[in-house]
Amino acid sequence: MSLNDTLKNLRENGIDEAKRAQKLQELNDLRVNLLGKKGPITKALRGMKDIPAEQRPEIGTLANNVKKDIQAAIEEKMEELNQKLVAKKLEEETIDVTLPATKNNQGTKHILNQTIEDIEQFFIGLGYEVAGGYEVEEDHYNFERLNIPKNHPARDMQDTFYLSDELLMRTQTSAQEGRDMEAHDFTKGPLKMISPGVVYRRDDDDATHSHQFHQIEGLVVDKNISMADLKGTLDALCRHVFGPDREIRFRPSYFPFTEPSVEVDVSCFNCGGTGCRICKYTGWIEVLGAGLTHPNVLKMSGIDPNEYSGMAFGLGPERFAMLKYGVNDIRDFYLNDVRFLEQFKGVN
Amino acid sequence: MKISVNWLKEYIPVDHTVEEIANKVSLTGIESGPVKLGEELTDLVVGHITSVTPHPDSDHLKLCQVDVGEKEEIQIVCGAPNVAEDQYVIVALHGAHLPNGVRIKRGKLRGQESNGMICGLDEVGVPAQYMPKEFENGIYVFDEPQTPGQEVYDLLGLKDEMVDIDITPNRADTLGMRGAAWEIGATYDEKPKFTKPELNQDKLKDLTDVTATVEEKDLVPDYLLRELKGIKVAKSPLWMQRRLWNQNIKPVNSVVDAANYVMIEYGQPVQVYDLDKLPQKNLTVKLAHDGDKLILAETDKSLNHNDLVITSGDEVLGLAGIINGTKAAVDENTTNVLVEAGVFDGARVRKAAQRHDLRDDASNRFEKGVDNGIVSEALVRATQLIDQASDAKEISKEIIGNYTKAQPTVIKGSIKHINHLMGLQLSSDEILQIFDRLGFTSELSGDAVTITIPTRRWDMEIEADLVEEVNRIYGYENLPNTLPAGMETRGGYSAKRELSNKLRDALLASGLDEVINYSLLNKQEVDDFNILNSEYTKLLHPMTEDHEYLRNSLIPGLVRDVAYNQARKNDDLQLFEQARVFDRVTGNDRPKELPFISGAISGNVIEDAWNSDAKPVDFYYVKGIVEELLTYVNADAQFSFEATADYDNLHPGQTAKILANGQMVGIIGKLHPNYQKAHNVNDTFVFELNIDALFDLNTRNVKATSAPKYPEISRDLAILVEKDIENGQIIADIFSNGGKYLKDVKIFDVYEGKNIKPNHKSLGYHLVFLNPNDTLTDEEVEKAFTLVKDSLVQKFNVEIR
Repeated sequence: MSLNDTLKNLRENGIDEAKRAQKLQELNDLRVNLLGKKGPITKALRGMKDIPAEQRPEIGTLANNVKKDIQAAIEEKMEELNQKLVAKKLEEETIDVTLPATKNNQGTKHILNQTIEDIEQFFIGLGYEVAGGYEVEEDHYNFERLNIPKNHPARDMQDTFYLSDELLMRTQTSAQEGRDMEAHDFTKGPLKMISPGVVYRRDDDDATHSHQFHQIEGLVVDKNISMADLKGTLDALCRHVFGPDREIRFRPSYFPFTEPSVEVDVSCFNCGGTGCRICKYTGWIEVLGAGLTHPNVLKMSGIDPNEYSGMAFGLGPERFAMLKYGVNDIRDFYLNDVRFLEQFKGVN
Repeated sequence: MKISVNWLKEYIPVDHTVEEIANKVSLTGIESGPVKLGEELTDLVVGHITSVTPHPDSDHLKLCQVDVGEKEEIQIVCGAPNVAEDQYVIVALHGAHLPNGVRIKRGKLRGQESNGMICGLDEVGVPAQYMPKEFENGIYVFDEPQTPGQEVYDLLGLKDEMVDIDITPNRADTLGMRGAAWEIGATYDEKPKFTKPELNQDKLKDLTDVTATVEEKDLVPDYLLRELKGIKVAKSPLWMQRRLWNQNIKPVNSVVDAANYVMIEYGQPVQVYDLDKLPQKNLTVKLAHDGDKLILAETDKSLNHNDLVITSGDEVLGLAGIINGTKAAVDENTTNVLVEAGVFDGARVRKAAQRHDLRDDASNRFEKGVDNGIVSEALVRATQLIDQASDAKEISKEIIGNYTKAQPTVIKGSIKHINHLMGLQLSSDEILQIFDRLGFTSELSGDAVTITIPTRRWDMEIEADLVEEVNRIYGYENLPNTLPAGMETRGGYSAKRELSNKLRDALLASGLDEVINYSLLNKQEVDDFNILNSEYTKLLHPMTEDHEYLRNSLIPGLVRDVAYNQARKNDDLQLFEQARVFDRVTGNDRPKELPFISGAISGNVIEDAWNSDAKPVDFYYVKGIVEELLTYVNADAQFSFEATADYDNLHPGQTAKILANGQMVGIIGKLHPNYQKAHNVNDTFVFELNIDALFDLNTRNVKATSAPKYPEISRDLAILVEKDIENGQIIADIFSNGGKYLKDVKIFDVYEGKNIKPNHKSLGYHLVFLNPNDTLTDEEVEKAFTLVKDSLVQKFNVEIR
């Protein structure tokens, strides 16, 4: 057989063998066997010396092509086998995506703090500072400075935990008003603050009473503060908290440290004002108390009520959260059953 | 107080529904609700009993023939002991609806036909405790003939409609019908009309046998008496009785009822005394002697020197402004009576009523104030009513113990300022017209107004009060919504609060749920974790032992939460709280309020699931949370953990102080097994950090460096070391000898036990070297690594493995 024919035979057999291969290993072996230094092509080419010199280039080219063709056949088959392997692996790796996840939980912020921070953010956006105040407060700031002297009937409304004659657990975050007013430099602009925090009353704990609860006090003192400003501010707040379609209304009320004083109702977010169980069929829900700062309160902080006026409001995060989420028992906030706490993940 | 709409109509024309009135009054003045009595009642008419015969088969039942205004009389079987011929009574006809769903049907009682029911007052809705005593055990009988068949509702006030006003303490002026008429009238722009009470001039005499004395004139600005002689105590007229029982006042007799009626009408409490039962012909108002006794119907009260009392001779007749004893009570045999109207100091009355647990309609009014401009008139009115029903022979002039002329309040204001505070621009006419509706008189001079306030509105003092009156009557619903339009301000949190927020967010991200606990703890709880070593802060008058002390640690609350949850099978818990603890120094009354952040972790931190095995919490898990938390302090400080056995309720071998630059800022550890057992919690780890202390460290300034461009070289080191040498010591030594290119040291293996020398442990460390500015050579690293090893051998006698 001529060298020419030998090479062609090798090509034919090599390609045929590559196509028949079932495993990558077979192809690797085939490559080494056919194309390696000890392989038949190399061997055949040793016979070149017997070929006339003018034919040698032609045979050389043929030999290279044979190598290339076999190589190509092997690679093609390899690719085919690889794809099969990948497909098999993918099939093997297929999982049940409905199996439960590996838990990666963040914690849940307490719903009261979510409620408080939502309100804080609203007021920060309006330029209010957030002041903390003291939970142990002087009678002076908690009562006297709020126009509630000893023997004032309003002291009946909030029975107090005293620590001494002059020290008490604050009964209202309004206790912060006097401190903020006396600390504020009015030459630098108006006083705008909210003061969130814990307050205490001598109440027996039941579904609607707690000896400890939260309040957020708000106070603005400037030269031109009016009832209309108060109404606009609280209207915006209630829309922020209870939804953009809400309206508010003022009803006259009484607090010793504001005059005029009002209670603020928001239109029922459940029925939209037509009347339902939540709003006791009135269409309105009482949410907070407010008013213009009593001139005596301004005076006691060294502020001239003829020049300045103030507005103040106080709201209860517990009440807000109870209304908004339908919590029926205030004690739930303080029992900290994680099944209760975790339902509020991400609501605010 | 409940304002009867029918009664109100005597003063102002109102034809709105009670719901409308209540709503309007709520929006303009006082929180109110509509009350409709007897809505369910039907088919109740007057019956005239024409004959009563015994029931053939019963000892106590009677057969009554009753004229109910129809062609034929009906027979009703009645068992009431007081039923008798010729009575005018309440008949519930066949089909009548009574309170509580009771329905009357025709039927037979022991074989005798009964076509309805003859009713007692309580059966038609008058509360049993407020009906006249004589009808307590039987049917109600009208005093006077009525038309048979006529509906009984108006006669007895059974379907009265009332506005129930829930006053704030400043509006006690509406605790009388007349005050309420002014208030409701103002909202409807109707001025009430009142008839001035007058006494029968023929009976007025200069009687001088009785005197009134006031010892405490400061506490009793007004004290007036009138004497009526030769009266005949009777029953009050029905119109008065029905108004009283609808006010939850039991009608008694023509004298007592008149006094009560005037309190409702005028808001001025009035008392009556049987003159002939007085030890002396004198009433004196003074402070009691300690140990004096007030004799009441059901109980005696022991008095003290703070109690203002009415006395006669040596005897205490009553607590001023609150209640009278039985001593001089008016009864059916009384013929001479003293009527008293006074004003008593509100604070004094309030305290006495609280002290003796005797708060009532009278004390409620004096506490909140009464109109001292109408004391004299109210006394006249009470005297007139008594005379009308009891027919006095002689009436005295006013006997004065003390009298203070009531002065109207004058308030000056500015139209501009009033508008400015409302945020409105009303004309002076509009504003003055509102004052007029309220019955205030005003004078305008340019922008200045001078308003004269009648004494009935003693709550009015300053211009701000005028603002409220104008604004509420004008209508808050007519106010625009504006925002304060002053100079721009920068809102935000304090720096300390920002840090607290950041730390809370870090713990939330680590998977801890936030809790909020009570600040007040019991004694045991403040003892349990007094890590601050502070003096306790105790309430003067706690409600319960459970809430008696201010907390000095957040851990007791967290343990409660763990126990509460684990009792409910919520076993796997990761909780934290950010709140204040109270740290008091001996000698100070006031504790410092320190913001703390604390956590408790119990149960599994990796759950037992289809693809994972449960992993219970351990010290190092919690330490990891704390270390991550501490990075958020952004501290320019070195944090370290130092083992401690100082705390009784923490595990002595698994607890560490958390130090910043050597100063304690917190604690981390496992609860002591005994403590866990006592509190019914599973293995629980806690930590507590003082945010105040961390805040002071919050000073790190980050200057950015590029990520290193040169490769790291690492070396592993395995050593055998005595068991009680801490990892912290080894790491510190490695760092101090590792040279400037030693970047990180990690412990990757801790092993004791099999194949390890007794009392020794094997530790494996992974050291990472990096030169940020050049490629490190093996020689450089090997040199540093050798120094590290030599030092460990020398200092800790380790064996390099």
